[in-house]
Amino acid sequence: MRLITIIASLAVLALLVVLPFNLKNYGIYILSLWMVYSIAAMGLNLTLGYAGQVSLAQAAFLGIGAYTTALLMKAGYPFLFGFGLSAGICFCVGLILGYPALRVQHHFLAFVTLGFNALVWLVFRNEEWLTGGTYGLMGFPRPSFFGIDTTNQVAFYFFSLTIFVLLAVILWWIVRSPWGRAFQALRENPIRANSLGVDIRRMTLLAFAIGAAYGGMAGSLFAPLVEFIDPQSFQLNTSLMLLLMVIVGGSGRFLGPVIGALLVVLLPEWLRFTEGMYLIIYASLVMVLLAFCPSGLIGLYERSVAALRARPSGSRGSEKP
Amino acid sequence: MRLSKILMAVGLSTAMMIGSAQADSVKIGNVVELTGGGATVGINWKNAVEMAFGEINAAGGILSRKVELTNYDTQTNAQNSRAMVQKALDNGSYVILGPIYSSSTKVNMILTRRAEIPQIVGSEAPFITTAGNPYIFRTSFGAAQSMPKLAAYLKDGVKASSVGVVWVNDDFGKGGRDTVISELKKRGVKIAVDISTEVGQADFASDVIKLKNSGADAIFAYLHEEESARLLKEIKKHGLKQPVVGETTLMNQKVIDLAGDAANGAKGHVGLSADAPVPAVKEFAKKFEAKYGNKPDHNAIKGYIAAYTVKYVTEKLGKFDSKAFAKALHGMTISPKNEPGILMEVTWDDKGDIDRQSFLVEVVNGKQKITQILPKLGK
Repeated sequence: MRLITIIASLAVLALLVVLPFNLKNYGIYILSLWMVYSIAAMGLNLTLGYAGQVSLAQAAFLGIGAYTTALLMKAGYPFLFGFGLSAGICFCVGLILGYPALRVQHHFLAFVTLGFNALVWLVFRNEEWLTGGTYGLMGFPRPSFFGIDTTNQVAFYFFSLTIFVLLAVILWWIVRSPWGRAFQALRENPIRANSLGVDIRRMTLLAFAIGAAYGGMAGSLFAPLVEFIDPQSFQLNTSLMLLLMVIVGGSGRFLGPVIGALLVVLLPEWLRFTEGMYLIIYASLVMVLLAFCPSGLIGLYERSVAALRARPSGSRGSEKP
Repeated sequence: MRLSKILMAVGLSTAMMIGSAQADSVKIGNVVELTGGGATVGINWKNAVEMAFGEINAAGGILSRKVELTNYDTQTNAQNSRAMVQKALDNGSYVILGPIYSSSTKVNMILTRRAEIPQIVGSEAPFITTAGNPYIFRTSFGAAQSMPKLAAYLKDGVKASSVGVVWVNDDFGKGGRDTVISELKKRGVKIAVDISTEVGQADFASDVIKLKNSGADAIFAYLHEEESARLLKEIKKHGLKQPVVGETTLMNQKVIDLAGDAANGAKGHVGLSADAPVPAVKEFAKKFEAKYGNKPDHNAIKGYIAAYTVKYVTEKLGKFDSKAFAKALHGMTISPKNEPGILMEVTWDDKGDIDRQSFLVEVVNGKQKITQILPKLGK
């Protein structure tokens, strides 16, 4: 089983390496965007899917990361400094945002985080001296590493891919570490987890902080990818889109947000031939999926695999009189 | 065996036909708001562009090559508009038309500049043409051109000594607000109150009360269409007597339809209007209404002009050369005498801004009434 997972991961990675050479700039841009959103959704998946804390503030962290990186790069600092600082700032802010989660749960927590998202958006828009206000920020260069300039779409794609794989591996490790088990215990039954010696307070705050740091790092990539940022990109609807990615893909499953992001970014593209109908089809698909398979696409896959495995034994059983 | 030969022959000839059709056509990408909040303006633009290229193709195309128009939907989303412009560039567009929303244009114009492909937009925010992008061209006045005319009108026409400014806090509104306030101050007009509103705002009661208490002689409203209608209704409800003055959107047909009686008396400056006393514009409006069943708004006129600009400039150049196109359009004047599709004489300056006749209008009995024709600035 483990070998199969490794082979499958390597095959997907090989595909991701070969793909940009067969695509035009547009396709490469969309794939890069998918990786950026995947990183943010992976973070949200840790907070929501593993630790069970509803957050509608992921776009705010995406924004904090994007603005931090853009401002630092405009001031002449290297990208990696901005990237690290974005992660650090978001980790700390996420920690602070985690405090209300110690007192409120579920939809109340959703409203608290929603309020936070609106607050951050207002800061982006109104603090013109820092963020450029409605006009946003532009004119920051894409980073270059070892003499390779990432202004080229393919170069930036590989740059995003490297960071994406790195962050995915780290998250894989976190989820499988005692912390990961503690997060899941927190989601399933906080009281029992507490009685088993899990520090609920610390784990709740950590779930928020790590999720937020992933949001910040995604934002840090988002800024040089789009080469322009404005408050609009980090409104509540982006948070909802990230939530959709996690839920459609399969919340609490490692690959869920990656598959969800692929669907949310690419499906409008595949449905473009339907012109005006695409939003209707898209919305209907999401509704049907969530009504019949609340565990998302990964859940659907797991169920079909389970059904396939169960069938032979079932048919054998029916042969016997 | 024989069947496969026939199939091969059919396949080959089809491929050749497609190949020759492609060689004879020129691709133009129309990246515009077809869904989302900007759909009403985007669809007006799209319909007019399709109508224009339909006419051009029916008359033999541009330099005897047919135009192959592809529409790309920005979903009124800046990030998405960037992806769509990238796609239009990948597909080998000769010129890109659209989008209309300034917030989208500022994101995607980086790409056309890098690819050295001209982009003819419907956006009005000032910064579009101040960034020194040699590939960007407007089809309507930017706020930097229209606001001085409006400020002069507020001072001399309306005789206001203080003005309450209501604006929508996005790129479009902020750009207009900044320009008009500085123009008003230059003319010694006081700003009684400066009110920022949100995109999609439904309730304007508190804003209207602020206007009422400010004691302003006139109200300047710079909002999108739906919000303009809601503001006008609220102003009527509170019985404010001050004249409401605006730029293009306030007197838009859509606002008049939505606000009903409350729109009567709204006045201001309009760059383009289907009611303009210009026979070519009237004829265009008639054709458009017959084809699509609704009266064209100013965005439709912009789209129509954009399409005919592509035709005229290319024929003037005598070749399809995107770089030369951009160079040629700077400083060019196109007159309806030479190209009837341009509707009104227009001049582009070295930044891509336009100069054209414009109008002062007032809404009377649910209709735009032109009260004065303002000449081109350069004349």
